[in-house]
Amino acid sequence: MTQTQAPPATVVTPPAKTARTEDVPKLLNRWQVLAVLACLVFAALTAGLQALAWHANRAAADNTEQLVRVQNIQSTLFRADALATTAFLTGGLEPPEQRAAYDDAIETVTRQITEAAEAQPADREALADLSAAVTDYNATIAQARANNRQGFPVGAEYLRTASTGLRDTSVEGSAIPIAKALVAANAERAEDELGAQHPFLILLPGLAALGLLFWVNRKLAQRFRRRINLGVAAAALTVAALTVVAVVVAAVQAGNNNDLEAGSYRASYRESTARTAANDAKANESLRLISRGSGQVYEDRWDAASEVVLTNASNETVPLWQDYVTVHEQIVALDEGGRYDAAVRLSTTTDAEGSTARLDAFDTRSQEIITASGAETTDALRSGNTGILVLAIVTLLLGIAAAGMAVWGIGLRRREYA
Amino acid sequence: MIRIRALVAVAAVAVVAGCGYSATPVPQAVTPEPAAPATTAPCTDTGNPTRSYAPAAGGLPSPGNLPSGSTMAAIRDRGHLIAGVSGDSYLLASRNPFSGVVEGFDIDMVNQVAAAIFGTAKGHVQLRVISAADRIPLLQSGDVDIVARNMTINCARWDQIAFSAEYFHSGQKILVQKGSGITQVAGLSGKRACAPAGTTSLDQIQELAPDAIPVTATNHTGCLLKFQNGETDAITGDDTVLAGLAAQDPYAEVVTGEALTDEPYGIGVNRDQVDLVRFINGVLERMRADGSWQASYARWFKPSLKVDATQPTPVYGR
Repeated sequence: MTQTQAPPATVVTPPAKTARTEDVPKLLNRWQVLAVLACLVFAALTAGLQALAWHANRAAADNTEQLVRVQNIQSTLFRADALATTAFLTGGLEPPEQRAAYDDAIETVTRQITEAAEAQPADREALADLSAAVTDYNATIAQARANNRQGFPVGAEYLRTASTGLRDTSVEGSAIPIAKALVAANAERAEDELGAQHPFLILLPGLAALGLLFWVNRKLAQRFRRRINLGVAAAALTVAALTVVAVVVAAVQAGNNNDLEAGSYRASYRESTARTAANDAKANESLRLISRGSGQVYEDRWDAASEVVLTNASNETVPLWQDYVTVHEQIVALDEGGRYDAAVRLSTTTDAEGSTARLDAFDTRSQEIITASGAETTDALRSGNTGILVLAIVTLLLGIAAAGMAVWGIGLRRREYA
Repeated sequence: MIRIRALVAVAAVAVVAGCGYSATPVPQAVTPEPAAPATTAPCTDTGNPTRSYAPAAGGLPSPGNLPSGSTMAAIRDRGHLIAGVSGDSYLLASRNPFSGVVEGFDIDMVNQVAAAIFGTAKGHVQLRVISAADRIPLLQSGDVDIVARNMTINCARWDQIAFSAEYFHSGQKILVQKGSGITQVAGLSGKRACAPAGTTSLDQIQELAPDAIPVTATNHTGCLLKFQNGETDAITGDDTVLAGLAAQDPYAEVVTGEALTDEPYGIGVNRDQVDLVRFINGVLERMRADGSWQASYARWFKPSLKVDATQPTPVYGR
């Protein structure tokens, strides 16, 4: 250490007035406590905020995964309904592959409900209700199927009851309203956590600590005629450096999260919304044909669902949806033109020109986009997130070291005074 | 010491902020707005509402001999008769899921009219499945030629459309579980009875069995669903409809005996097409004579209603 240390003579001759009224060692103790507290509180608060930021990113990733999961439950429920209603239209004996696809969809829904309940405790109550609603739906579809196989029109009533019950907001415990509530809750959680990076907030403990250290240094300077106390200055520099790093990291992270929210997160959310509406529309297309003559209510629902698809689908899937819409319009024209059987054939055939194949093409591509965008969001949130935790630990340790520097610096003056 | 306290505080903040999401709210039921009550059109005729127009003198003209300029000739020239029918009233008119063909008692009536115009119904009938609410508007607009959809003839409807003579005499009855011991409406006391919402059928039941508990569904098939799920003990409605429900459930039967109301069914026609009404009445007369009405009844309703019936005697005089 080659710093300028004043000769003891100057120190031991403080201004006479001050010497008479002040107890210098006590003052030095007080300033030391203040400087140490400033450093430690800074370290604790800044590291705490960084730990919260680290946790928020983890939670945002988890919530995004849960959101994708519950949106998939919602889409798959509509898909099951579309499969059930389309299979029903084909007559008493439904094609085995359509039956298998329906069973797969219900199995997916059941499995994902269990996974979602494990992933988010706050969703458990709603998921338990959803599970009960899906069981009811599946049981009613089984009754519809049993009656349809015997050629009884009451089968269609069971199907309508199941389909309507799935969406019914006037009955407590309907599946789709619960799924919608789950989607809304998880989207809110994910977006809250994505927005939980606060560069300005993280600046405050640093500024407060620097202010205090500056004040302590000034007081020391007044008493000991030395402009700068080396220990306090080193502590202040450390605090300043840590604050700058913390603010820059938080700002970069906030920017990245904003980009994610507007980018892959939004893409996944919107595509999922489109996929849900698309399957809803296909179910309504079948219900329109099943409810021959009084199917306008289902056509109105088809229109509303199609609007949602067009508003939310990505550039990649909109053309696929339009391919489906073209066939749907042909089906409506055939039905209204008295060619009911031709309309049913076009709606139920699995050939490429039918509406089922067109919907499937949309659904498959849409699902790929949702999976890719969802993974992109969670990967981005998780990669590099550990760095924030390491930074928090470093901030804590260096903050403690800064407190030590202040103690050392003030200790020098104490020794001089003694 | 200070350091430890600060760390504990930070950890506490992290736990509170990170883990405790409030439970996802389960949506409450939203009560829909009640539908506006149906308004009844004023009635201006005080005579017997089943009065129709007598068939033209000289009997039913042959297909090749239809009066030129008549409604029937126009239909023949078009190539097909357009009939508004039900699609889900089992035995009256419903789509057979195996053949894809809409069939039933009402469809037999339509086919008879088409056969009288074209010589054969095959290839000359376009069935348009319509809702009950569409029956009158579609006749008034001319979108359908006739409506055969279990439509009760009444005075108020005569102000809007015309009817053929009565082709089936239906009436309100009850459907119960086999072996229930209920043999008349009074036996429904303390039991649940289902009818479509907005109909007057339940009022009739409650007059005779005031302690009966009303249950409603959107339509009669909805009542059958409730019946099968144990949510109602009985269903009430026209015997033709109940026969269709009973035929779909081996544990259900229609209680035989006097009907609670009279529901005379007629074929609806545009009120300006009196020639077509007269023509249809001629077809109905022919069905009585050649036994085809009886054959249709025996095929569709007799197995479920378990009683014989005769074609109603027509009343003319309009």
